[in-house]
Amino acid sequence: MKPLTRTVLACLCVGVSVAAFADDPSPDAQQHAKRIAVTTCGTCHGSQGVSQQPKFPNLAGQSAGYLAAQLKAFRAQTRGDADALAYMWGMAAPLDDDTIDALAGLYAAEAATAGRRTADAALVAKGEALYRDGHVEQGVPACAACHGADGHGMADFPRLAGQHAQYVLKQLDSFQTNMRNVAIMHGVASGLTGDDAAAVAAYLESLP
Amino acid sequence: MVMQGIHGKAVARWCALLSLAAVAPHASAVPSFARQTGMACEACHTVWPELTHFGRVFKANGYILDNLKQVKGVSPRKDELLSLATLPPLSMMVQISDTQLAKPLPDAAGGATQNGSVAFPQQVSLFYAGKIAPHGGAFIQLTYAHDSGGLQIDNTDIRFADIAVTDSGQSLVYGVSLNNNPTVQDLFNSTPAFGFPYAASSAAPGAPFGTQIDGALAQNVAGLTGYVYFNESLYAEAGFYRSAQQRSLPLDSTATAVVSGLAPYGRLAYEHNWDRHSLSAGVYGATFKLLPGNGKTLAGPTDDYKDVAEDVQYQYAGDHHLVSVQATRIRENATLNATYQDGAGSSNLSNQLTTTRAFATYYYQRRLGGTLGVFETTGTGDAILHTPAGLTPDPTASPDTSGWIAELNYLPWMNTKFSLQYTAYSKYNGRTRDILYDGSGRTASDNNALYVLAWFAF
Repeated sequence: MKPLTRTVLACLCVGVSVAAFADDPSPDAQQHAKRIAVTTCGTCHGSQGVSQQPKFPNLAGQSAGYLAAQLKAFRAQTRGDADALAYMWGMAAPLDDDTIDALAGLYAAEAATAGRRTADAALVAKGEALYRDGHVEQGVPACAACHGADGHGMADFPRLAGQHAQYVLKQLDSFQTNMRNVAIMHGVASGLTGDDAAAVAAYLESLP
Repeated sequence: MVMQGIHGKAVARWCALLSLAAVAPHASAVPSFARQTGMACEACHTVWPELTHFGRVFKANGYILDNLKQVKGVSPRKDELLSLATLPPLSMMVQISDTQLAKPLPDAAGGATQNGSVAFPQQVSLFYAGKIAPHGGAFIQLTYAHDSGGLQIDNTDIRFADIAVTDSGQSLVYGVSLNNNPTVQDLFNSTPAFGFPYAASSAAPGAPFGTQIDGALAQNVAGLTGYVYFNESLYAEAGFYRSAQQRSLPLDSTATAVVSGLAPYGRLAYEHNWDRHSLSAGVYGATFKLLPGNGKTLAGPTDDYKDVAEDVQYQYAGDHHLVSVQATRIRENATLNATYQDGAGSSNLSNQLTTTRAFATYYYQRRLGGTLGVFETTGTGDAILHTPAGLTPDPTASPDTSGWIAELNYLPWMNTKFSLQYTAYSKYNGRTRDILYDGSGRTASDNNALYVLAWFAF
């Protein structure tokens, strides 16, 4: 493991809170989650967590810990990117912990999207190189170190494989401006040029 | 002198037209929904009052999505019997406007009326818009308008809805709507009640003739319709309307345009959403059997109007750029059994009327944008019906009216809109010149109007 990668991992292990699942959600919460996943969340994220609208992220196959942490951050109004404010603060406000855990578990168990190949193979190849190796001169660590070699996420670091490129780009921009305030990702996003970000996003969208 | 007399009658007709414009349905934006859901306007609106896909789903579901602390009541079996927000979902809307006509309207006393009409307010509305029950919500608008001088009921839609989820994970929303304006309950902005223009001058002449489903019966009917919305794409609705006029009851011979029996209403639409795009197409229509009243007893033959319309809507919602296009065509076949009967009300037993409208809107970052559109009404010429009241029926009279609208909007904040709207007529009441039919020489383009509007919703 490269020194930079080790440093990044160490920082993340200290800095990122991990949602703990002490108990399984109650049957009532699971039933409620199953219903609102289709009738409310599904309007933007797709009834099975695969969004047809690239503005909204795919949730299927996402890490349950990450999903629960995000829903709690929306509810606490501590995640501040523009779409979080506009949509998710309101959406998450009435959710209790049990329902959040049930929703997170539900989406984590859904089959993830198969990825979508873009026509620009060179862009994808560039994105792959950045994802795997980072850009040391610009202080950008390898994304794969935390998000996994296959982009499926590790522990509570989110799955990125198959995610909509438009969503990834918007999040990178939000990290860069600190509207979504995550220190490590602010550093990563600040080191990426617009072309780099577009390449990584295209690569991630193509991954199964 | 004769000309002056005729002129005076024509002026009276202008007054009637202007009062029609004043009671025409006004589309509305409702911040109480934002308060209730905790979501910004952009979740449900491209720019208000135009709905996004999410907004359509919210409406179909009965306005019940909420994040407010609730007062709850449940049965021993945990059935929800009460769910009310601790704060009522109230909103206010204020419109202040100024209208400049290309040429002032004639005055009944001779000469001209004052041009540059300031309406302060043009309209002030109070809304209760939000959840009222576990599966029900209401959109109730009370409006004070400068020309009514009082508080009157405006667009109202009270609905109850629930959702079934199919085994394959698709949603089926089903519900009923109680409303007072055909299409006010519709989900799309390509139908009349919530179609462009979303605000119009109360001091400029509006279209002289329109179809019944195009706002003619707004706030004077009560509708009960049932609907389904499958997989957030297929929308079907059917129901009935009955007169519910804003006057003393029971209705008698002094009332006008009274619905005989029940007027059936139907709607079918399909929407497809992909990427940042949304496309919908549909049909809607109604059949109204109207008793003319106005001195005649409310019995006997009726004037039958069959309205059939198609509509289409396209929306693109990018992070910076928003584009939407709406178009509708309404065709009306009227059989005027009552009006034609005594030979005084119309020259023809049957008339056709077709109204077509198409509008395209662009916004940059939901702050600066505009709309360009065209409108046209054509139909059978009817000397008695289409000649201004009080004048000798003119065999060349026709309802044909056409023109275009350009509107520029600036929203410094999401709930504040400043508009500059220009309406130009190429034809009015069947003519380009002498549109008053009295030889006074007023042209269609004399009705062109510049309308400046400040619109606040809070």
